[in-house]
Amino acid sequence: MNDLKIVSTQSTPLIETDSNRGVIYMEGDSYPENSFEFYSELVSWVSHYLATNSRPLVVELALLYLNTSSIKVMMDIFDELEDAHQSGRDITVNWRYDVDNERVAELAEEFKEDCSFAFNIIGQP
Amino acid sequence: MSVPDLYELRQRFDNERILLCFNGPISRSLIEEIGNALRNYMKTEQASPVATLDVFAVYIELTQNIRHYAQTSQLAGADTATVVVSYRDGHYNVSAGNLVRIEDGEAVLKQITALAQLDKTELKKAYKEQLRKPRDEQATTGAGLGLIDIARKASAPVMSSLKTLENGTGYFSLSVQI
Repeated sequence: MNDLKIVSTQSTPLIETDSNRGVIYMEGDSYPENSFEFYSELVSWVSHYLATNSRPLVVELALLYLNTSSIKVMMDIFDELEDAHQSGRDITVNWRYDVDNERVAELAEEFKEDCSFAFNIIGQP
Repeated sequence: MSVPDLYELRQRFDNERILLCFNGPISRSLIEEIGNALRNYMKTEQASPVATLDVFAVYIELTQNIRHYAQTSQLAGADTATVVVSYRDGHYNVSAGNLVRIEDGEAVLKQITALAQLDKTELKKAYKEQLRKPRDEQATTGAGLGLIDIARKASAPVMSSLKTLENGTGYFSLSVQI
């Protein structure tokens, strides 16, 4: 399966996937004007990964700012991960943030509220 | 040709503690560049990372709403935005204005007034409900999620006004205290 390696821009995060290890990595800001379009490749990758194997999936996030349309897309992805988790898949999200910026932790916390899989919000000095 | 009185303009900026002002057709790249300048400025002024992120977030939602409106409404001149960021009495203020069809402006005014009645817990509930709405339903309500997000980041009720102009249009302004 094709992995993604999307470089970051001022308004879009770096996105990398590793289907062999079962890892998604995202880092940076996300405020594209058309988030649905920007994230379509990642959304397809996730669906494809979940449909073609039963291995665990770890999502490593170092996201800082998300505009509301990016939040909407991320919620759709987390919903899909939640469904997979409900069907017995091992899912983990690790969201790292700078302890100076509690807004990022609050954002992560609101996503976590709707997820029952392991969702770790990790403050870093 | 007369020389514009820039000193008078600058005095007004100084008096109103305006740290950033933009007036003109707004593009995706301008939104990014101005946003970047805003973040850097706040960093140099040693604003807290939380305040910087809140101001930036409100700025992005407001300007992207204007771009989105200009694209969907196809109203001539709607992509010309006026954006002002100021710092007064210990608070940052982000304001933005644009040309709208009067009925669209009235609809947003109604939304802002309704949101102003809600406390933080109710706003969070409204936000989560809006987030769960199907995408096409979101599209019909326009800037729903963005406006709730802005209201959640504001430290006082969001202020808005609509000035009637000619040909069924109006100038819509919105001001957010962080």
